[in-house]
Amino acid sequence: MEYLITGGEQPLMDKLQILTAAAKYDVACTSSGVERGGTGQSIGNCVKSGICHSFAGDGRCISLLKILLTNECIFDCKYCQNRCSNDIPRATFTPEEICTLTMEFYRRNYIEGLFLSSGIIRNPTFTMELICRVLYLLRTKYHFNGYVHVKAIPGAAPELIQRAGYMADRMSVNLELPTAEGLRALAPNKHRKSILTPMRQIQNGIVENKNDLVLYRNAPRFVSGGQSTQVIIGATPENDYQILSVAESLYRKFELKRVFYSAFVNVTGDSNLPALPGGPPMLREHRLYQADWLLRFYGFRADELLDEGRPFFNVLLDPKEDWAVRHLEQFPVEINRAPLEMLLRVPGVGVKSAQRIMAARRIASLTFADLKKIGVVLKRALYFVTCNGRMMYPVKMEEDYIVRNLTGEKERVRFGSDGMSYRQMSLFDDGSFTRPVGAEERLQAAVGQL
Amino acid sequence: MTVYRCEDSLEGIFTAIYLAYEEKRDHKDTRISLNDEPMLFAEDIQVTPDWEKTRKVMNTLNRRFGESDYLNLCRALAAEDEDKAQAVYRTVVDGLEKKVKEGHLFDNLADDNVNRALALSINTRREIHHLRGFVRFQELENGMLYSKIGPKNNILTFLMPHFSDRLPIENFVLYDERRNLFGIHPAGKQWILFCGEEGTGRGDSSGAEKRLGEIGLSEKELQYQALFRSFCHAITIEGRRNAELQRNMLPLRFREYMFEFQ
Repeated sequence: MEYLITGGEQPLMDKLQILTAAAKYDVACTSSGVERGGTGQSIGNCVKSGICHSFAGDGRCISLLKILLTNECIFDCKYCQNRCSNDIPRATFTPEEICTLTMEFYRRNYIEGLFLSSGIIRNPTFTMELICRVLYLLRTKYHFNGYVHVKAIPGAAPELIQRAGYMADRMSVNLELPTAEGLRALAPNKHRKSILTPMRQIQNGIVENKNDLVLYRNAPRFVSGGQSTQVIIGATPENDYQILSVAESLYRKFELKRVFYSAFVNVTGDSNLPALPGGPPMLREHRLYQADWLLRFYGFRADELLDEGRPFFNVLLDPKEDWAVRHLEQFPVEINRAPLEMLLRVPGVGVKSAQRIMAARRIASLTFADLKKIGVVLKRALYFVTCNGRMMYPVKMEEDYIVRNLTGEKERVRFGSDGMSYRQMSLFDDGSFTRPVGAEERLQAAVGQL
Repeated sequence: MTVYRCEDSLEGIFTAIYLAYEEKRDHKDTRISLNDEPMLFAEDIQVTPDWEKTRKVMNTLNRRFGESDYLNLCRALAAEDEDKAQAVYRTVVDGLEKKVKEGHLFDNLADDNVNRALALSINTRREIHHLRGFVRFQELENGMLYSKIGPKNNILTFLMPHFSDRLPIENFVLYDERRNLFGIHPAGKQWILFCGEEGTGRGDSSGAEKRLGEIGLSEKELQYQALFRSFCHAITIEGRRNAELQRNMLPLRFREYMFEFQ
């Protein structure tokens, strides 16, 4: 098949395949955080919640056209498949090709926008300039008003990063490895300082821009979707506590929107990297994301969840359950009286259900049946809450007992076994009466033909 | 017991609510039903949808409960459900009686009707959100974009504002094949809703749909489809393959309409 837009000898299809495969280990693919209506003349708008357009075979969402500008790279990071000492097919997009692909995919509703990263070609400043050129074309010549996420290349000239920031919705600088030692061992060309410098620059830019926007409503927005970063999990021997503390300080000190965790996949087979016979450390990544949510939305601190003595997450319990069974002195919590902060700390209660409980209990006193309707996961919450002073089942407030019940399939309190757990019994309910009454039977009953 | 019987549409149900208030019914002893099942000792009243009455109800709901809760009610009525009319009716009666503040209509989740109405609304909103992403437009020979959808709930009216804001300079058509409804957006103009020909049942392809199907695809269309398909394959990390997660996030019923899964 021939493609109309081909630059150079390489067909566009091959380039797209190479540069997509090269970009796939970057996890950030969110299109959220920006609400921007269409202008009427250009193509595109942004939706606050973000939109997923498809899901790949690994279950990750396809929201943005995630590609590299080029996979040529002068750096030699040991974990990266694009490193200069690796013998792989190389390709480079022209700015026009990227713009056409983005526009044509976008108007067919395949994608929510563009995610543009790049290998380092010649030097960081030159690379950043290429990225800026793509952005400029996309925003001015092609009138694209949708979501764009670009990488800030560490070491590039600050004015280029500034310029990109005014055209992009989100920027990110990848921290890659959680500690400076790890970075030194695996990425000899990268330095922690050079990574943190653009991060600080973007943060200051966002703060300044916020002040400008207060004064001038129509001032151009700078990185309106905030900035994010990514940390590789399991390539270096850091423990979960270190990683979580790094994430916490990034949220506090650099005001990041998101920190992404990426379970390490050994693609290069380098001798300095751990072999992972059991596949990538997915459970560890999952626990870190759970803890990340606890930090951002549930008011937890990193040192509450983990400490030097227990630096790794529990494999069997999620971080919130784990915290709760270690702090049984604070439970059970009375649903009809507890403050929001305490409700948020109950396993099985999420942000949404906590807010709903707060609203609903002002009108009626809540029972376990109501909690079920509101969306509380009772099989986790039942050990930690009371409704009107009563627990759902007689439960021993004992760490071992609760852990056994939360984890063991067999020994679990037989939730729902009495048929009364959360459903109101009706007059004709004998437990096995599940078939709904048909229209015909109702008619027969009405006219007395039973 | 009084039973208002109306058609399954926003106009029908809002008119029924209007009538229940106009005729000063005892709301505890009144039902709004969408089917023809007879009830014992009930007085049946057939409702003819009336635009003027609908508009009055819309204004009142919007003013008393605020825009977001009003939209929640509308979304609940767009759901595919037998009891939605009754749930929404009871919710509205409750809200007006208790004089709830703006944005607090759905606070009383311990109440079955309020809970049901909110659940329906959330269900519809979820499908709207899914389809904002999963709609796939095809470019036809004449440059027009065309997409077929088959949603569970009647959500075309909620999708059109999103896409006309996003693609203002495109001609596009969204076709709901389960309800034979067309959403049509001419470039640079207001979008319109168009009902397919009468007499064609659900799933039948109507005349208008057939004529659209006869227009061939543009020459670049298949190339971009192939490009996107290869993008989807290339972005997958083999070491993390997880078909179950993929199925949870993107249920199979949507894939019927997405070319990358065919």
